[in-house]
Amino acid sequence: MEEREVTFIVKRFYRNEWREDRYEFKAVRGMTVLDGLFHIRDNIDPSLSFRASCRMGICGSCGMVINGKAMLACSTQIFDLGTDVVRIEPLRNMEALKDLISDFDDFFEKHRRVKPYLIRKEEKSIEEGEYIQTPDELRKYRQYSLCIKCGLCYDACSITGSNKEYLGPAALASACRFIMDSRDQGEDERIPLVSDHTGCWRCHFMAECSEVCPKEVDPADAIQKLKRKALIYSLKRLFRR
Amino acid sequence: MIVQHDVTIIGAGLAGLRASIGAAEKSDRISIALVSKIYPLRSHSVCAEGGTGAALREGDSVELHSWDTVKGSDFLGDQDAIEFFCSIAPREVILLEHWGCPWSRTENGMLDQRPFGGHSFPRACYAADRTGFHEMHTLYERSLMYDNIERYSEYFVTSLIIEDNRVRGVTAIDLRTGELMVFQSKAVIIATGGAGRLYEFTTYSHTVTGDGMAIAYRAGIPLKDMEFFQFHPTGLLPSGILITEGARGEGGYLLNNRNERFMERYAPEKMELAPRDIVSRSMMTEINEGRGFEGPYGQYLLLDLRHLGEEKINEKLPLIREASIKFSGVDPVEEPIPVRPVAHYTMGGIHTNMYTETPVKGLYSAGEAACVSIHGANRLGTNSTMECLVFGGVAGERAAEFALGNDFAPVSSDYVKEEERRLFDDLLSRNGDERISVIRDEMRSTMERHVGIFRNGEDLKTGLRKIQELKERFKNISITDKGRSFNTELTHALEVDFMLDLAEVVVSGALLREESRGAHYRTDFPKRDDKKWLKHTLAYYTPEGPKFDYIPVTITKWKPVERKY
Amino acid sequence: MLVSVKDSISSWFRIEGRGISGYAFIIHRLTGIVLTAYIFLHLAFLTSLTEGESAYTSLIEKTVNIRFLPFDILLIGVTIYHSLNGLRLVIAEFFVTRYHRELFVIFIIVGVVIWIFTSYLLYRFVVV
Repeated sequence: MEEREVTFIVKRFYRNEWREDRYEFKAVRGMTVLDGLFHIRDNIDPSLSFRASCRMGICGSCGMVINGKAMLACSTQIFDLGTDVVRIEPLRNMEALKDLISDFDDFFEKHRRVKPYLIRKEEKSIEEGEYIQTPDELRKYRQYSLCIKCGLCYDACSITGSNKEYLGPAALASACRFIMDSRDQGEDERIPLVSDHTGCWRCHFMAECSEVCPKEVDPADAIQKLKRKALIYSLKRLFRR
Repeated sequence: MIVQHDVTIIGAGLAGLRASIGAAEKSDRISIALVSKIYPLRSHSVCAEGGTGAALREGDSVELHSWDTVKGSDFLGDQDAIEFFCSIAPREVILLEHWGCPWSRTENGMLDQRPFGGHSFPRACYAADRTGFHEMHTLYERSLMYDNIERYSEYFVTSLIIEDNRVRGVTAIDLRTGELMVFQSKAVIIATGGAGRLYEFTTYSHTVTGDGMAIAYRAGIPLKDMEFFQFHPTGLLPSGILITEGARGEGGYLLNNRNERFMERYAPEKMELAPRDIVSRSMMTEINEGRGFEGPYGQYLLLDLRHLGEEKINEKLPLIREASIKFSGVDPVEEPIPVRPVAHYTMGGIHTNMYTETPVKGLYSAGEAACVSIHGANRLGTNSTMECLVFGGVAGERAAEFALGNDFAPVSSDYVKEEERRLFDDLLSRNGDERISVIRDEMRSTMERHVGIFRNGEDLKTGLRKIQELKERFKNISITDKGRSFNTELTHALEVDFMLDLAEVVVSGALLREESRGAHYRTDFPKRDDKKWLKHTLAYYTPEGPKFDYIPVTITKWKPVERKY
Repeated sequence: MLVSVKDSISSWFRIEGRGISGYAFIIHRLTGIVLTAYIFLHLAFLTSLTEGESAYTSLIEKTVNIRFLPFDILLIGVTIYHSLNGLRLVIAEFFVTRYHRELFVIFIIVGVVIWIFTSYLLYRFVVV
């Protein structure tokens, strides 16, 4: 099997100070960056801390900055990086807590703020069965429901970096997911929440969120859809008065 | 620091989240703490792929679902619990739909269902092949609606506080600060999932280390049927990532190196859709008899999906395609996927009755961490996510009721001091010459080699000796990171410590059970023995190792018969 | 709550790991800052009118000069980029989002053509 000597340079936030540690080891073909980190933790430096769980790109734990770009460590093959020197740092635009672990509390709090659940004006009882939704109606929002909340978009977005109140791509995509859902009736509650100065209008369409998204959610597209929805919504309200 | 909550839920996967909602809906007067060592959405439940079983349509019935489950369990499942479970299942699917779950639909907009192994009716509701993922997100997002649920993410629970057979709370390390916290509670629900990381080749997330089971076990609550460990037929090489049974449900074939659909020989009627224990054993037989493929990561067989066509694969199995390409370099549209049986599910768990109550007052358990038991000796696909929903909901309601009718019980400060001493003065300050990772890896390879699909007395004895030796060696570990904040080395040490206890229970239980039933197959006792072994194993903690006891299986309608597919 | 100017600027102008739309944004910000600065300059020139017409004319004449030509051409380039990319953003935000990358390439080509043409006109105006 193909083997190569690689160097991981890890930017660590350790005991409230930034430092850089270099680790050299033999990587084999098929090894992901996450496998590399586990190799370091198990064999070289057990004190290295990072988040990881599913190792199959669905839990969203292991987002980190790899050679300048936000990626999921578990879904990135070392040999695909095109270099033997791998620079790793924690996600930016969030506070670093320890080593590669950064603070997601604010990220999840923003997700909560957009009311990411089905809002119904009238509920169907369980006995009446499911709400009818055709595959075409499902397709309208399915893409946005694939978000794994890994925070990569949060790192890529310049606006989350300069405005801490901005809801950010993931939360807005989540709002869009529910607004586009044929079962949802919460437009009146949700659109005002996401169309103020912290919401979709704060987006300057850098679209880097969609570039780094590991699940092809395309949050940039979701936010532009929100802008259109918000525009139509406010026009409607104007004429209703 | 002490915080008070009426109900504390440990684990925020499917069962934990469902329990939190169940409790919150019961009454808005009770406060609920949802404690998890990771953020809820990182839980392993997001990895569930294939489907969630419920009898919804004409032609199917609760009775049929129950029978399939009883037969699947090799008659070790408690039949009253199974019927209870199957009767609530349809309600849970609809409930989740009403809460926004993007279930896959039929052309006329109804919930779609697909066939699954061991089920005699296509009853697996699914959301493409991300069923668990969507269920998790739906529940998590729904739980955000309730103001009385407080989330404590990244808190590592270290022990249960139980006195006079009454639960009083739990201790947990706040990973951010590294301080020990006490959650004083009227009721506690353990929903921490299985113990899959006991094995080397496993579908489990890195975080599934059976903490809840081990904590309960050490607190004196028996673990039930731990020797039954499910091996899923199709784990992707080399990582062990799950290839859903749904892939076979949609029509995938299993092939050996002679290009035969070998399941013909083992289960002529159900073929690839026989229950998992049978398919996994058949696959291992094929490999052992030289009909497997040889590769750099060991021997394997092939799962062929090519005849399904690109469109169907993209529509119904997108994650499988993505995972195969990313983690194995194989596009299932063009090539068959290399697979091997892989450790997948812990049938055993914390001993509870069908209302999720443990022997300790105020303590409940649900999901994979618990053993009700509805899975018996072998779980059917689609029943685990459903178990989390059904029993999560039941646990939440029961715990809330208990909390409404009882007061807080005092927590002794001595206990907390002792726990602090154990964690920080003893464990954290260890400077021995054993490495945690070495012990963990040796445990995993021991389990893999000696307590795998085919077991025998000799192997199990060797395995047990080895695990006991590892437990001894663990006392001499060293922890290099002496800091407090996010000391993942310390938490990993705790996890390995927990896993060693569980491994001992699994091996000893397997050694004692001298028969073959469901997932537990002894080559030296290849027959099921209903006379001697139609009973549940209970393992009690003692400092010297587990002590065993047995209780009868509840049989109502279905007398044990030979299990054929 | 706004973060410090330093952090804002470093997050706006981070080039590492960016794709095409990231660069488009960065240049948009840069040209925006240049144009803002230019507006102040322009206002300063206009303010000279308060000192009489001759003061303004003499100031302007100094700038209509071959030495200032490169700056003028650059200013035109900046304006063209900022307006065309702005137009692209409006299209992406309110009409079609999906083809924003392709649109960027097309607009760059169109922009360069306009730029060369206007630069030529300017050259004629100043030199001839």
